[in-house]
Amino acid sequence: MKPVAAFVLVGAALAVAPFLGLPAFYESFLYLVFSWVVLATSWNLLSGYAGYFSFGHAAFFGAGVYATAVLGGKLGWSLLATLPLAAGVPALLGVTLGAVIFRVRALRGELFAVLTLAVTFVVSTIVLNTPIDGGPGVMLSAVSIPKLAPSPSGTFYLMALILALISVYISYRVYHSRFGTGLFAIHDDEEVAEVMGVPTYRFKLGAFALSCALAGLAGGIHGVFVSYVTVAETFGHWLALYVILMAAIGGTRHWLGPALGAALVTTLLYAFTASEHALGGRAVVGLVLILVILFMPQGLLGRFSRRTPLPRNGLIPPDASMAVPGKEPILVIKGASKAFRGVQALGGVDLEVRRGEILGLVGPNGSGKSTLINVVSGHYPLDGGSIVFEGREIAGEAPHRIASGGIARTYQIPRPFAHLSVLENVALPPMFGRVAMDRGRAESEAWRWLEFTNLSEKAGRLPAELNLHERKFLELARALASRPKLLFLDEVLSGMTPSEMDEAIRLVRAIREQGATIVFVEHVMRAVMELTDRVVVLTNGRTIAEGVPREVMRNPQVIDAYLGAAHA
Amino acid sequence: MLEARGLHAGYGAAPAIRDVSLDVGQGDLVVVVGPNGAGKTTLINAIAGLHRIESGRLVFSGTNISDLPPHRFCDQGIALVPEGRRLFTGMSVRENLELGAYGSAAKPHRAQAMQRVLALFPMLGAKLRALAGTLSGGQQQMLAIGRALMARPRLLLLDEPSLGLAPTIVIEMFRIIREVNQDGVAVLLVEQNVAMALQLARRAYVLEEGRIVAQGSPQELASQPDIQRAYLGH
Amino acid sequence: MPSAALLGQSLLAGIFAGALYGLLGLGLTLSWGMLRQINLAHFALVFLGGYLTYQLAAAGFDPLATLALIAPAFFILGVALHALLARFKVGILNTLLVTYGFTVMLESLLQWIWSADYRRMDSHYGAVKWKVGELFVSLPELITLAIACATALAMWAVLRYTDLGKALRAIAEDAPMAAAFGVNHKLLSLLLSGLCAALAAVAGTCLALTYTLAPSQMYAWIGVVFAVVMIGGLGNPLGPLVAGLAIGVSEALTMAITAPAWAPLVSFSLLIGALLVRPQRF
Repeated sequence: MKPVAAFVLVGAALAVAPFLGLPAFYESFLYLVFSWVVLATSWNLLSGYAGYFSFGHAAFFGAGVYATAVLGGKLGWSLLATLPLAAGVPALLGVTLGAVIFRVRALRGELFAVLTLAVTFVVSTIVLNTPIDGGPGVMLSAVSIPKLAPSPSGTFYLMALILALISVYISYRVYHSRFGTGLFAIHDDEEVAEVMGVPTYRFKLGAFALSCALAGLAGGIHGVFVSYVTVAETFGHWLALYVILMAAIGGTRHWLGPALGAALVTTLLYAFTASEHALGGRAVVGLVLILVILFMPQGLLGRFSRRTPLPRNGLIPPDASMAVPGKEPILVIKGASKAFRGVQALGGVDLEVRRGEILGLVGPNGSGKSTLINVVSGHYPLDGGSIVFEGREIAGEAPHRIASGGIARTYQIPRPFAHLSVLENVALPPMFGRVAMDRGRAESEAWRWLEFTNLSEKAGRLPAELNLHERKFLELARALASRPKLLFLDEVLSGMTPSEMDEAIRLVRAIREQGATIVFVEHVMRAVMELTDRVVVLTNGRTIAEGVPREVMRNPQVIDAYLGAAHA
Repeated sequence: MLEARGLHAGYGAAPAIRDVSLDVGQGDLVVVVGPNGAGKTTLINAIAGLHRIESGRLVFSGTNISDLPPHRFCDQGIALVPEGRRLFTGMSVRENLELGAYGSAAKPHRAQAMQRVLALFPMLGAKLRALAGTLSGGQQQMLAIGRALMARPRLLLLDEPSLGLAPTIVIEMFRIIREVNQDGVAVLLVEQNVAMALQLARRAYVLEEGRIVAQGSPQELASQPDIQRAYLGH
Repeated sequence: MPSAALLGQSLLAGIFAGALYGLLGLGLTLSWGMLRQINLAHFALVFLGGYLTYQLAAAGFDPLATLALIAPAFFILGVALHALLARFKVGILNTLLVTYGFTVMLESLLQWIWSADYRRMDSHYGAVKWKVGELFVSLPELITLAIACATALAMWAVLRYTDLGKALRAIAEDAPMAAAFGVNHKLLSLLLSGLCAALAAVAGTCLALTYTLAPSQMYAWIGVVFAVVMIGGLGNPLGPLVAGLAIGVSEALTMAITAPAWAPLVSFSLLIGALLVRPQRF
């Protein structure tokens, strides 16, 4: 059955309750459950999916509360009329904050958490001291609410139910969408996600805005439900922490996790409060949080969070040729220089890559090979020089744009997305690369490359379950899946046994047969000899030789560089 | 003095070193060469106690140190100059040196050790108060060696000390290593700079893809095609 | 514009408040900067210490002397906490969550034993006040200031000049290399965590001397102490004190010149500013 239908059915089933004479007490209790479902699920969109743990959810909830309070309580608007702004004001606040914070690479992890905590304090202080609240709180008993059910508590029940269904549905859709895959990739390894084509900045802002809007809506409704709002109650510290607790218990990587956690925790707390053990209830909640983080960090639904691959459809992916017509060199690097903290990693490198060739890039350890790949793919900005790809200057471009331009690379130490399956890892670049496919086509593209690298059997597994050589092949499949025009292989062979290496060499040949241009960084010399058309030798950040492999490796300067000078 | 037998160490399913056996005698100067990715750093780290040994035996001066916790290796008489130096960059040169002599065996002799080290590396004496992170590459390498010498080791381990250094500094550094060895400290050196390493060594091992593929005196090895093939492919 | 006397009194109030921020922040900055653990439960421990001081004082003990009992007990708690976090290899973000769980549990405990009512400790210190010119100074506030400065300086001196301190700094930067030179980083980390908890006990006693206690109040300090710790530089023992004094004075002056309610904005705006302008520091 289509998901929308399932949601509507569940919703309809729950919606009849107020009409069946449910006591107001239960309506209010369930209202609270639904409200917390909205808060936890909305929090999870940014914090659970993308990994940016926010401790400031109360700020956006509160912004929604006070948007409704001002418009409804002070200016006489009806609740429904205030809702667009109850969603819009927090969303705007979130986007403004995000626009600044997400640009700063260092503000992740615990710093982001502390920053969002600080934001809550600032917002609450401003609300407290300005005419928005001013101190005495705001009365909302006169705000008119729609008549959806026989009683007011029934109406709130239905409003919260609808909002909860919407939130969980959004969570579900995002989870299964390209957007969601991008967010999960950001969570696992934001730098690599960016290099693979995910527009990380935009996606984070989008998730944040959505999260804030939903929290604000919950706030707007809640303000009228309690009919009297104060700053202390609205921006209380416990809200920010309870949503984290709920999502953590239910499972932050699952679309239904936060909802489940919210239902469990709210019920638990209510049970304790009802039996006069409110204090004990809070202590138990604290204990549960500790136990969950220590023993079950992925939460109750965590183990179910593998998205099942769509059944292998019969779609035949378009022709796999990666050949690029034209005579001019596909990549021209001139005078590239890059220094890290005083160490000159690249000191003016000149390099040309011709179409359809396999170019070997060799040199002793520390010669700058990996740095060169990193600057071309956009990981690091260049200090000086230019990189022209297909006639276009790409030095300084955002990594995801370089990726969609047709450059792909593998990592020397494989960096797969740890919580995405093998198939999803390989399907990611086609989704975000220059061909930008939808999930179905991206997955069938991924299947093709998994077959090519003999990994089809492991498609549903997590990368951690693969051994090193399989992970290297996964890197390869992932890089190939974006149909790059230019492919950088960074020490693909290191750590492999001789027979695994033979397989890899065969693969690289097969890739070349499809017309791709490959830059092959390697230490394993016999592979370099067998595979490459030309070789460039890099030492101390400079090119010292270039030409046909056999000749270059007999060049006395090159031999010196490798084996070291006997005398100065 | 140091006996390694059948060492296996590495990362989970893919061991970086397999079945490695080597010996370092008292006052010996042994070199391990091999291409990148051969497992040299894992080997040295395993001998220094930084990396867990999965199977095999490590015996030092008759004591089985295979299962010793990392902080006890120093007192046994083993000191490490790690790859990339790994100095305490937020601390001064003097403090880095003092920390070298933190171990209970070395602490009583700290003052003398400091004198000795400063005599070996006079340029450090001028920079005692500077933060370690502000030194140049060559100075940092000297400091890393000095720090290890403060521990008064009987076995000095060095992991690719020439990495990123200018040739003149490398020559000076190897001269100092030779001097230290002549004072009676055994040295185990892992290097990519094969020619210099073979000049220095009394004995050498060749490590390739995690296994020892050749061993012998420098003269024996230089004439063998193994090394050239491993590095240059022909 | 308020009178000189009012400004002066505000200044003093700010200094004393800042001293307490510094004292509260000391344990936090050491565990965050050197152990990579963000211990939210530090605040709960401080309040637990305060309540224990209050209780023992009510039984007739000198408040300051109670530390002889409380500090060692807390030391053990600190060691236990670190052992737990290390055993489960809890990452830095998760330490925030786990310690939040402990905070909630401790708060419930405090409320259960001492109820949610406000408690004010009566001590003979509280009765002592001096008049310096136009300004009033009380003994508990002076004691707090003295203890805050003394502990911060003592920790700074230990880290700077003793072998133990150097070992701790080495561990904070590169624990395996420190171990390679004989530093038993596991043991030292446990001891440092114990010390941070003992410092919480000290802060708690000072808190009980100068403020009224209520379980819910512990959350009121989180924001400003975090700000003070981060602005002062993680792991720097003098940082919270200096930043605390600066912020305490700014807050007090803001309160005197504008309105009391704007005071919290000071610390947070500074924190947000510091984070945005130079996040690499952290």
